Amino acid sequence: MGDKQQIPVRDNLWRITPNGPRLIGSKCSACGELYFPKKDNGVCSYCQSRRLEEAVFSKRGKVYSCTCVMQRPPVYYKGEVPYAIGFVELPEGIRIETLFTDCDIEDLHVGMSVEMVISKLHEDEAGNEVIAYMFRPTKA
Amino acid sequence: MKNGREVVIAGVGLTRFNSYDGQKDDRPYKEFYDLGSEAILDALDSAGMAWTDIEAAFCGSVYSGTASGHQTIENVGMTGIPIVNVENACSSSSSAFRLAYQMVAAGVYDIAIAVGFEKMPRGFIQSTSWPEWQRFMGFNVQPAAYAMQTVRYMEETGATEEDFARVTVKNRNNGVLNPKARMQKPVTLEEVLESRMIAKPLRLLNACPLADGGSAVILCSRDKLKNKAKTVTIAASILTSGTYGHVYGGGSVKIKTPETIQYSAQKAFEMAGLGPKDVDVVQAYDTMSSGELWDLEELGFCGKGEAPHLLREGHFDLNGRLPVNTDGGLMSRGHPLGATGLAQIIEIYYQLRDEAGPRQVANAKVGLAHAMGAGPNSGIVILKR
Repeated sequence: MGDKQQIPVRDNLWRITPNGPRLIGSKCSACGELYFPKKDNGVCSYCQSRRLEEAVFSKRGKVYSCTCVMQRPPVYYKGEVPYAIGFVELPEGIRIETLFTDCDIEDLHVGMSVEMVISKLHEDEAGNEVIAYMFRPTKA
Repeated sequence: MKNGREVVIAGVGLTRFNSYDGQKDDRPYKEFYDLGSEAILDALDSAGMAWTDIEAAFCGSVYSGTASGHQTIENVGMTGIPIVNVENACSSSSSAFRLAYQMVAAGVYDIAIAVGFEKMPRGFIQSTSWPEWQRFMGFNVQPAAYAMQTVRYMEETGATEEDFARVTVKNRNNGVLNPKARMQKPVTLEEVLESRMIAKPLRLLNACPLADGGSAVILCSRDKLKNKAKTVTIAASILTSGTYGHVYGGGSVKIKTPETIQYSAQKAFEMAGLGPKDVDVVQAYDTMSSGELWDLEELGFCGKGEAPHLLREGHFDLNGRLPVNTDGGLMSRGHPLGATGLAQIIEIYYQLRDEAGPRQVANAKVGLAHAMGAGPNSGIVILKR
């Protein structure tokens, strides 16, 4: 007892693979469209086929857009302020909205190479660690 | 989609947009229903109509809660007419206008009213349009969503922070000439560029201010018009609630459908039988000043990346070739979410009737108002004289 648990901010955003944690989503086997997170209803919102399969996304991608939020948003977010968020484009052809971690937020820029990590978001009221996927600059 | 019979604007009403918190003499405490009913009474006077002439009411608001239109109208009088409340984010009253328009165009009613009102919550707007896990990750910040779009716009067009500041300066200059605007003092380029950063690269003076307010427009068939001078006709009223694959920069990278604003503009011009070159005055969507630039491009008034250059040349000034946000836009008028869409339409109405006073655009015959909203929603109204 007393052991703090790690709780994902939401189920089914990522999965542990032999190569480490990877974001998972859906791919339409009819038209090839990609989704993140995984679509629970199994319907492709582009072609309306019901043939979605799981897609496992690459660890590395490039910053498509980013910003630095200077003021605490209401209620939910409990991390540090300012903080950086943005979209990362993955080689599969999908853009993922994300928090950035382990980086100088002033240095963050479009086109920067980044990689996905699982990191602590905050502690909940019971003292458990709420964890989430984030991206950080790839080490040279 | 069929156009139906001709629908004209019978009258309009607009409160001053302000902070009605009772903290100062010039801003008494008012509730959303006070503001909405004040606008309704002004619209009736402007139309020369009685409340009993109105056959249906469509009320736009975001934060006023259940049956807010009913609370507003109860202030004027319950006459047994249907009251429908419309929540469509920042496009709420533009959407309410469209419902009133469609009912009159279809011949269901001869006279209908669209009303917009809002008493704004203060601080960062708590939007529930993000799933809970995304709120835990801090994504639920509207200025940040705009900032990320702005970063892409800069990347793709070479636009600079100075260009965005220039939009604020232009709109605040126009606001000086609008006694209904929340902000009636000009700002300089330097003041904008030195104001506090909210979400890089957007600063406080790139953001429209909060405001409370009410707006109302009475629509009718031509035969019911009481005040027949300088009649303003609704040439188009369109709502496009998102096109596939355009979710603030996320999702699949393959572009498969036209962008939402482009699509709604295309439909609006088609409905009006007009093109961007026929338009004399525009109320574009400037919640963030950078947004006005790409809005003008997506609406088809210039090519991609051309708006900053045209702005610098004065093209969008009051005396320019295509005056934009002549009443100061959201940037000066302020943004009571539910009241904004109709306020934009009302400014076009004033301009087409030569009633815009010191901010009057010469010979304005066709005007367009665009209310973008989270969802997304893209509401476009084209009026002509």
